[in-house]
Amino acid sequence: MEILSTENVTFRYPGSPQYVLEDINFSIHKGDFAILCGPSGSGKSTLLRMFKQELLPHGECSGSFFYKGNSLQDMDRLTVAKEIGMVFQDPDNQIVMEHVMDELLFGMENMGYPTDVMRRKVAEMVHFFGLQDLLETRTDELSGGQKQLINLASVLLLDPNILLLDEPTAQLDPIAAKEFIHLLKRLNDEFGITILIVEHRLEELFSLANRVILLDKGRLVFDTSPRDAVSHMYTSMRHFLPSAALVYLDHSEERRQEKIPLSVREAKKWVVNANLSFVQKKEKLLPEQEPFVELRKIDYQYSKHSEPVLKNLSFSVNRGEWMSLVGANGTGKTTVLKLIGGLLKPQHGYIKYSGRKVKQIDQEEIGYLPQNPKTFFLHDTLFDEYRQIAKANQKNVEAIDSLVRKFQLRELLTRHPYDLSGGEMQKAALVGILLGEPSLLLVDEPTKGMDPDFKAEFGELMQELVNEGLTVIMVTHDIEFAAHYSTRCSMIFRGDITVSEQTQSFFRENTYYTTAINRITREGSGLSPVTLEEAMLLLQKNGI
Amino acid sequence: MIRGFRSIHPFVLFVYYVYIITSLMLYQHPFFLLTALCLVVYVHVLLDRGEQLKRWIWMLVLMSIFIFILTPFFNRRGNHVLFYLFDNPVMLEAVIQGVMIALTLMCILAVFITFNIVMTSDKFLFIVSKWFPKWGMLIMLSMRFVPLLRKRLQDIEQVQQVKGVSLRQGTVRQRAKNGMLLMQILLTFSLEESIQSGDSMTARGYGLQKRSKYHPYEMTHRDWALGFVMTVFFGIILYGWWLEDGVLALLPALEPIWLSGREWFFYAIWFMFIGIPIFVEGREVLKWKYYQQKM
Repeated sequence: MEILSTENVTFRYPGSPQYVLEDINFSIHKGDFAILCGPSGSGKSTLLRMFKQELLPHGECSGSFFYKGNSLQDMDRLTVAKEIGMVFQDPDNQIVMEHVMDELLFGMENMGYPTDVMRRKVAEMVHFFGLQDLLETRTDELSGGQKQLINLASVLLLDPNILLLDEPTAQLDPIAAKEFIHLLKRLNDEFGITILIVEHRLEELFSLANRVILLDKGRLVFDTSPRDAVSHMYTSMRHFLPSAALVYLDHSEERRQEKIPLSVREAKKWVVNANLSFVQKKEKLLPEQEPFVELRKIDYQYSKHSEPVLKNLSFSVNRGEWMSLVGANGTGKTTVLKLIGGLLKPQHGYIKYSGRKVKQIDQEEIGYLPQNPKTFFLHDTLFDEYRQIAKANQKNVEAIDSLVRKFQLRELLTRHPYDLSGGEMQKAALVGILLGEPSLLLVDEPTKGMDPDFKAEFGELMQELVNEGLTVIMVTHDIEFAAHYSTRCSMIFRGDITVSEQTQSFFRENTYYTTAINRITREGSGLSPVTLEEAMLLLQKNGI
Repeated sequence: MIRGFRSIHPFVLFVYYVYIITSLMLYQHPFFLLTALCLVVYVHVLLDRGEQLKRWIWMLVLMSIFIFILTPFFNRRGNHVLFYLFDNPVMLEAVIQGVMIALTLMCILAVFITFNIVMTSDKFLFIVSKWFPKWGMLIMLSMRFVPLLRKRLQDIEQVQQVKGVSLRQGTVRQRAKNGMLLMQILLTFSLEESIQSGDSMTARGYGLQKRSKYHPYEMTHRDWALGFVMTVFFGIILYGWWLEDGVLALLPALEPIWLSGREWFFYAIWFMFIGIPIFVEGREVLKWKYYQQKM
């Protein structure tokens, strides 16, 4: 049965000649788990919002929407609010109450439920989600994953028939993201709740969904099964696909659509059957160098009574390196960055910079790209921002010009920074930082919320900067990104660095905390590659 | 806390606090006030072993001593001269007055501290939103907003410090200018983010109709009974005040401090009225002791 459908939907912003959405026709059936994907700016989020008429951005809209065969425009708004649930991207901004319990009740109070009904529903939901211990907590003390869980629970309490999710895992770490996605699958399996999800992080989703809808530049490209989608997207949108499928499509001769593996398990089976083997390659060792930044025996705790975050941490980074700091939430990754950046003072230990002990590294030598680039901009347009930074650093307009050209930001110069997409904003902030010509760049979770194509572009840009001599220390949860670009990886655990190795050997030695491709090829003979590019390289050599 | 004083319905609690503070202000008699002070301190001990009181005790004592000393200096009305200080008479009446004001102040502050322990923010909000639902909603939204704002400001400050826009370095003028810039970006940033909060509220049907309110508290028989008893007590206390039995007359003639006749009746009522929390809490303690002995 059709639950949600559109007919000839077209949308554009007022005064803009370009259509955000053009002639969209599709329908979602009851019990579907559908992914809506596409590059940034393809109109996915706008389309999703159209099913919640109140959230529709201001603009010219034509076409019709149907919910269970009735036109959405004519339906009672209360019924729509109840039966079509929506979860958004940012876990923080969706929460409006101070305590978890009040947040859960918020939607039900809007619906005018009596107290005993609310009490019963909350009790049910708490059991299903296992939220017992969180009920009395303040919402700002929760982790990102927990916040998103509360958001989902709060929507589910209204008994929706369909859930619309707008990049719900973009701001979460990979473990929390996986848990969230699997919870959606459970809701879909056990309760038949229809799910329509807009998402960039597709590694997991392809094996769980039953439909993939691709939008590009406001047009619907296809609406098909995941396997079919994979074979369509292989050439043009490679970065969006899971490694499991890519390794098959890269290396299999037959390329039969029904055989495309979507999960690590399936891909592993294929690798063993196909008897793929990878050559043993001597690892190119990075030349030993004087450490550029060195932390010795650092202790840090935020307040006298809290648990210390860093305990006797020693850590060094060489000049020209791209170091990735990985590790679970709350292990102190960001704290390390802030210590190096001089934003926090260690309670014990010292920092050496270029071999000299310093109280604090000269902040002009450091660039800090924060997790949320919105905190970086102070002025109304990008150009104003750059001009101010240039003035402070005694640079002329040419310096701005050359950087802007390099980063292809020319068209965006007159825009307000907040009008840029998440990825563009990261890039714009990076340009601002580079204007100060730092020799050390500190980056905090740069790939959060970026679409895969943009991520690749950003990675290449950073790579270029590193080749030109910039030293980068990056905190990340994105294992694939770290494996692909960084030269060394360090894992932080319980306030100390447990391993610090060259990227390849780091991931090769890890069993669980490693890239999908490494997990897939682990049982083949020879050395298992860490990235797809490496796999291509090693396998070809084998063939010769 | 399922039982005990804290579990009483917020309305009853609120009314009790209104009663008790009014009574403390009306009954100006050292004997009554001293009794009240002892009882309130004991309530503190029962509630949290006096933890909260300890944090305030110095301020309380200092303020009371201050008032106790100052009152006789400014108040020179009375019939009994105790001694002369810099040629000014210090009256017995004024000293007693000082004692009473100091005691009243201590009692009211100590009661307020128990109010703080017993009436947690959610209970208070529950009462506010009963009478002013819109205001209640607004308070709840801003309670969530404040920590968010603080966190954002901290983020902005740190990022800008590395960028060279600092509040800790430079001339005062430069720092002030930087501060304004940071506030401006904090506002823009927060407005931008709150659009999303608005969306999430709309998506959950906010503003479509009159909201209902979840009632976490129910009026039990005990709450009704307690409300009734304390209203009767308060009525008697008011009557006593009207009869001037709970007030020590200082002028035109000083009344003897020791109680006499009818005053003892009002004293008994006063004792029971202020002691209500002790009765409610103590019952639980006794029950628990009895339960342990049976085991």
